[in-house]
Amino acid sequence: MGVGVLFLRRALAARPSRAPVAFATSRRLLRTSPPSRAFAKQLFLGKIEKKEVFPFPEVSQDELNEINQFVGPLEKFFTEEVDSERIDREGKIPNETLEKLKNLGLFGMQVPEEYGGLGLSNTMYARLGEIIGLDGSIAVTLAAHQAIGLKGIILAGNKEQKAKYLPRLASGEHIAAFCLTEPTSGSDAASIKTRATLSEDKKHYILNGSKIWITNGGIANVFTVFAKTQVVDSDGSVKDKITALIVERDFGGVTNGKPEDKLGIRGSNTCEVHFENTKVPIENVLGEVGGGFKVAMNILNSGRFSMGSLVAGMLKKLMTAAYACTRKQFNKNLSEFGLIQEKFALMAQKTYVMESMAYLTAGMLDQPGFPDCSIEAAMVKVFSSEGAWQCVSEALQVLGGSGYMRDYPYERLLRDSRILLIFEGTNEILRMYIALTGLQHAGRILTTRINELKRGNVTTVIETVSQRLRDSLSRTVDLGLTGKLGAVHPSVADSANKLEENVYYFGRTVETLLLRFGKTIVEEQMVLKRVANILINLYGMTAVLSRASRSIRVGLRNHDHEVLLANIFCAEAYYQNLFTLSQLDKYSPENLDEQIKKVSQQVLEKQAYICAHPLDRTS
Amino acid sequence: MSWAQAILLARGLSWGWGGICGAALTGAPFSQAPLWAPRGLHRSAIACNSDSWLVPPSPEPPKGPPKALAPHEELFTQALGGTRDKANFVRAVQNFGQHNVYKRGHVDFIYLALRKMREYGVERDLAVYNLLLDVFPKEVFRPRSIFQTMFIHYPRQQECGIAVLEQMESHGVMPNKETEFLLLQIFGRKSYPMLKFIRMKLWFSRFKNINPFPVPRDLPQDPVDLAKLGLRHMEPNLNATVTIYQMPSSKDSTGAADPTEPHIVGIQTPDQQAALAHHNPARPIFVEGPFSLWLRDKCVYYHILRADLLPPEEREVEEIPEEWNLYYPMQLDLDYGRSGWDDYEFDIHEVEEGPVFAICMAGAHDQATLAKWIQGLQETNPALAQIPVVFRLAGSTGELLGSSSGLEDPPPPPPEGQEEEEDNQQRQQQGQS
Repeated sequence: MGVGVLFLRRALAARPSRAPVAFATSRRLLRTSPPSRAFAKQLFLGKIEKKEVFPFPEVSQDELNEINQFVGPLEKFFTEEVDSERIDREGKIPNETLEKLKNLGLFGMQVPEEYGGLGLSNTMYARLGEIIGLDGSIAVTLAAHQAIGLKGIILAGNKEQKAKYLPRLASGEHIAAFCLTEPTSGSDAASIKTRATLSEDKKHYILNGSKIWITNGGIANVFTVFAKTQVVDSDGSVKDKITALIVERDFGGVTNGKPEDKLGIRGSNTCEVHFENTKVPIENVLGEVGGGFKVAMNILNSGRFSMGSLVAGMLKKLMTAAYACTRKQFNKNLSEFGLIQEKFALMAQKTYVMESMAYLTAGMLDQPGFPDCSIEAAMVKVFSSEGAWQCVSEALQVLGGSGYMRDYPYERLLRDSRILLIFEGTNEILRMYIALTGLQHAGRILTTRINELKRGNVTTVIETVSQRLRDSLSRTVDLGLTGKLGAVHPSVADSANKLEENVYYFGRTVETLLLRFGKTIVEEQMVLKRVANILINLYGMTAVLSRASRSIRVGLRNHDHEVLLANIFCAEAYYQNLFTLSQLDKYSPENLDEQIKKVSQQVLEKQAYICAHPLDRTS
Repeated sequence: MSWAQAILLARGLSWGWGGICGAALTGAPFSQAPLWAPRGLHRSAIACNSDSWLVPPSPEPPKGPPKALAPHEELFTQALGGTRDKANFVRAVQNFGQHNVYKRGHVDFIYLALRKMREYGVERDLAVYNLLLDVFPKEVFRPRSIFQTMFIHYPRQQECGIAVLEQMESHGVMPNKETEFLLLQIFGRKSYPMLKFIRMKLWFSRFKNINPFPVPRDLPQDPVDLAKLGLRHMEPNLNATVTIYQMPSSKDSTGAADPTEPHIVGIQTPDQQAALAHHNPARPIFVEGPFSLWLRDKCVYYHILRADLLPPEEREVEEIPEEWNLYYPMQLDLDYGRSGWDDYEFDIHEVEEGPVFAICMAGAHDQATLAKWIQGLQETNPALAQIPVVFRLAGSTGELLGSSSGLEDPPPPPPEGQEEEEDNQQRQQQGQS
């Protein structure tokens, strides 16, 4: 096996031509118009940027063959050799498994080929992620290594740094870790306490401080560490700014605590890492001194999209259909009961949507130029992590009591999938990110209009009012998705109309919200959450419509099934969106924000549940 | 139709008017209720002014014949051999029923018993009130025709029944089903005691928990515990820590704390600590007090550590650092804020005050004691060492001190703490002059 795998790796590494890359570069040269605006941001203006999402991105036949060549053995390895139950029980990935992963080249999937990695495109990376997702611990270990651990070197490192570190990291000889979180600092960069001070000879930084919850902290040799350094500003004042540093374990003074005892992903190594007078040469500064904040943000934003395919891969294997079709109750198979059928439909639908979203985003990222798809990636992460939690829970429910037992893998998968809602930015924080980034974009464009409205410019006011009037009189919205030359196949035209309507009214609502709250909308988290939820639904609808249309037109197997799934999801999301949009209306009866705030305020004031016991009496 | 409505309305008014009045006048909510309807028609035999016609006549009327034993007093004096407790009270009430098969003079007896209740410590015992009501003969006073209902049937007895309920009310005793059953048996459904009962049932349940800051019925006797309670009562933040900076050193035989080492109990929240740490040492802070705080019938005094409000030019504008949140923007660069039409808050004129950094309650109000408090505070607030502290102690604790012995309860045995407080005030005044 090992030899075979090695051969494969070599085969992949020695690919004769890099057709897609060559093609991409040539296209990049040809492009003269400014890069098109990102899809999600345009949704905030009530517009659908069709070029970005239709047709669904494809890969060339060569690329597909290549990756399929690779997928087969990898899948075989994961199903036959990886013992997830043992990893979970022992809280450690066995060394021989790690070795094989290294031989397969999985430690350098996105490292460019010239540095010894596989140099996979985002789409290919997502495809492999489907298989890696079969074991939570391995997936997290690998993600911590390359999605965040060494990503800094790829994104911000200079040539020397890349040449020095990437080859050994790509081969898995060294493992990387990402050290950002501190006891006092989660997403709050200002409260980072770890400090790097320049030594007297100005050749080293002396690093002091500790980081917590570092995945791979115990096994890593190379750390991307974020620390405060003193930076002289352009105006001469001295400020504390964050700097990213590459720290090797061999620099000395690096110690780590014992692995944390976690709910899930127990095989991954998570621990505290302490730095005590660690001498870091100044060549190891990643990016600029004082530019660590941007580095951290870029790393975090770039790593998220892969979760969609990771989860989809896991869910595809999860289908408990065999059980449902064999277990008999009342002389009927479980599969004949409507409530069980519903669960399978839900799992299929969620899997379909997150897969579509993940590959659409990957395809967008693979486009030439450096498209900013961080909103899309965040949406994929939020949707897929919540879908994973829901679907694993439903799958477990199908098995009933058995699902709760350790004999079956479902309880482990449930534990493992819980972390998805938390790491790489909790879903709450990502919702803020999604909503605020979009609103910022919309705000910039709408500002002139809104200013005119505020000043009471008669033409603008009349325009707006008449537009509102038209909106309330006719509900047909046509953004050009359907029709004779539409981007969407007629089988899903109904759903496309729903999407158009949602998008249009979403744009209107965003405008109203901006007009109403202005920049104080940052404080309105419940409003922002709703905005983000609508946007996630809209993106999901777009992704499934695009994918289903392609499947029909290309004639993929079971495309009628895809049409069903797409239509179900679009209808559900449409009604959800309508409800959420009405919740965003200040005067609608669905908007319960005031009451919700009051309740939480009263509870938090007393720090307790304050209702009297139902059995209490006044006399 | 219309006159029928008018009659209904008039009737509703005569029954409901008192209730409205009662709700409006918080001072004497229920006692006025029956006054309205009957006054013009009928006056009870008892000569009394309108304020106290329900209150049992005082045992020592200001002007009148020399003190004579009230009738049936002997029932209670008999029991005096034993201790004054519930058992003896119950025995006295039962004795009345046994001695007096015809229940002659039961109204007088009930009034007497009502007065005696506090002596026996049963004024909050529902069972005893029910027992008292049980003294009334049953079925006799029930009106049997509509006319009897209209012209108050047996007014003296009804008043007595109301007096029992009134005393229950003033002690916060909620009547129960048994009370209702007794009243039904004695006075019937359409009677004033029953009306009173219904109103009590209605309003008690609404008023019982109306205080969002409930004070326990029995206050702790220990001054340290009392101070802790008072401080917790004033500080809404549940994360505040109460520190005892000094325990009362020793207790002599009378239980009075040694005046040289009074207790010092303080409270401070983490927010206050942080604010104190950020205080500009160039600006002094002040210890002010004593201020009074009433906990039921007890008055305690507290001191605060506060600073003046910063002048507007010295206030730091809280800026959102550029690189703060790794995940999402903390501010949008839009150049307008919340629009006016979205703001439905009333325009409230708010007066800003300087920050309060800590509160303390001490057994003495002189500067030496409070200096110890500041010393104790320095352990958790090192910044305090650099900040000048000015003691601004008021000479007197205010005229409230004189009336600190309960409003309605008889004065408890003179609290030692109070004398000590007065001592301290004198010392304080001397110290300041």
